[in-house]
Amino acid sequence: MTLLRMFLVQTKMHFVWYFRRDGEMMFWTLAMPVFFLVLFSFAFSDSGTSRASAFLVPGIIGAQVLSSGFWGVGVMLATFREKHLLRRIYVTPMPPWIFFASLVVYRMALLAIQALLLIAAGALLFHVRITGNPVEIVLILLLGTATFVSLGTIIGALARTTESANNVASILTVPLAFLSDAYVPIDRFPHAVSGALRMLPSTQFIETFRDVAVGGQPLARYGVWLLLLVLWTIAGTTISARTFRWV
Amino acid sequence: MLPPQTRCVFHGHTTVDRTIVVEKLVKRYGELRAVDGISFSVAPGTIFGLLGRNGAGKTTTLECCIGIGKPTSGTIRVLGLDPTRAGDLARLRPRIGVQLQATSLPEKANVREVLELYAAYYRIAPRAEEMAGRVGLDGKLDRQIAQMSGGEQQRLALALALQHEPDVLFLDEPTAGMDAFGRRILWNEVERLRDAGKTIVLTTHYIEEAERRSDRVCIIQRGAIVAEAGPADLIARYGGDASVTVVADGFVPGAALRGLGTWTKTGAEWKLATRGEPGLALAAVVTDANAAGAKIASLDMHRPTLEDAFIAITGETLGEGETE
Repeated sequence: MTLLRMFLVQTKMHFVWYFRRDGEMMFWTLAMPVFFLVLFSFAFSDSGTSRASAFLVPGIIGAQVLSSGFWGVGVMLATFREKHLLRRIYVTPMPPWIFFASLVVYRMALLAIQALLLIAAGALLFHVRITGNPVEIVLILLLGTATFVSLGTIIGALARTTESANNVASILTVPLAFLSDAYVPIDRFPHAVSGALRMLPSTQFIETFRDVAVGGQPLARYGVWLLLLVLWTIAGTTISARTFRWV
Repeated sequence: MLPPQTRCVFHGHTTVDRTIVVEKLVKRYGELRAVDGISFSVAPGTIFGLLGRNGAGKTTTLECCIGIGKPTSGTIRVLGLDPTRAGDLARLRPRIGVQLQATSLPEKANVREVLELYAAYYRIAPRAEEMAGRVGLDGKLDRQIAQMSGGEQQRLALALALQHEPDVLFLDEPTAGMDAFGRRILWNEVERLRDAGKTIVLTTHYIEEAERRSDRVCIIQRGAIVAEAGPADLIARYGGDASVTVVADGFVPGAALRGLGTWTKTGAEWKLATRGEPGLALAAVVTDANAAGAKIASLDMHRPTLEDAFIAITGETLGEGETE
């Protein structure tokens, strides 16, 4: 009961301090993705804005999952350490997993808002229909979040400063957004290139999510990729837990 | 060299009658020995001041006691628990209160939220209003950290250390950057806790505060303890003589005054160095001068302070290098 209260208060505070009172954060997480959706839907509209948008809605949601892990958790943790917040928390009796869980749940809540906003924008502006099984959609989103949060935490664990965490996150997030079938269909690349890009966990996650959400595919068809994402999650969590520093 | 009895030695106290026992603590950062074999123990109901220049090893010692720093070697017990062991540390954390030197709280958090979050950490009922009142932040519960002065943030950090009524309080440079109001609040709270039998360990480089407020002072120099005793004992042992200086036309110390100590004359100024009570010597000088009809031009008395003792012990002043 008291642990639950600790978790709930901490999660609420993350939400209030780092989202609700942070106008810049609201702009980047809510306005920008919708802006990109509209912009790219028209830019890639050679076979119709609706088709482009059906590709982009899950793609941009997937890209948000990536940046949620790398920026929202990874860089955030490095900032917390640099500002000496982590060492202050470390001397309190709060179990570390409560802190991490609350950070992840806060980002998941934020992702849910982002996803609903993008889905609504896609439906209203471009008639994108989400046809997949809602349970399977939620499952693949949860798995993707777990994967990229655990990988992002490695950045937070290893980066010495906020600046270096920022650099690593940028180097990962920006190219991956374009190479993982999020904004640009990788099938336009030569076959060998797109084949290689499909080895990336980010590509596997985004394509699975898209095929389930708007492609009418069952999640079970992507068993191998799902297993690989689970393995990435286990690896990320293990490395993070071994290398994480509070001070 | 100091006589051996003043060196801080671990006297074989068990952890039962001592709140904190630190034995042969060494903390190395690469080649640098930040703490080089420190041993001390703290009795319950004591305000224990770690005094020394910046970089002497005070903060490192304190951080090792609360589990932030891992000692290179040596043993530490706080409330009988070993902060280097995860299980002990978990049992220790609810019982200690900590104010760190470099704490920054989330900028967009307000006073009430931070106090309520920490109440949740310690699994106690929220008491934000009461705590804010105690540290002079009443009426500022909705103030965000970014809009608070450094002193106000320090007082909030103090409230976070006190809120769960810890058995041991660790304060790292708690009065640095605090105004007189903040210091009064801090010392009131610290002394109230001490009077309730709790133990307070604090680092400071404000020597007057260490002298007035600590029950025991531990002087640290270059990672080692060079003296440890009550401030009055340190002053009596190392502070040197008290002095009375007088300038009075036609004044010459008589036999009775000569018996009080050593007189020297520099120009028109007579100076008495005495081991006795300087106040009494001063009164005797006034009486003598009046009896001799000597008109006193100036009269001054100096009682040795902890600063005198500090300089005698370390060969350094504390004032330098205060940029941290």
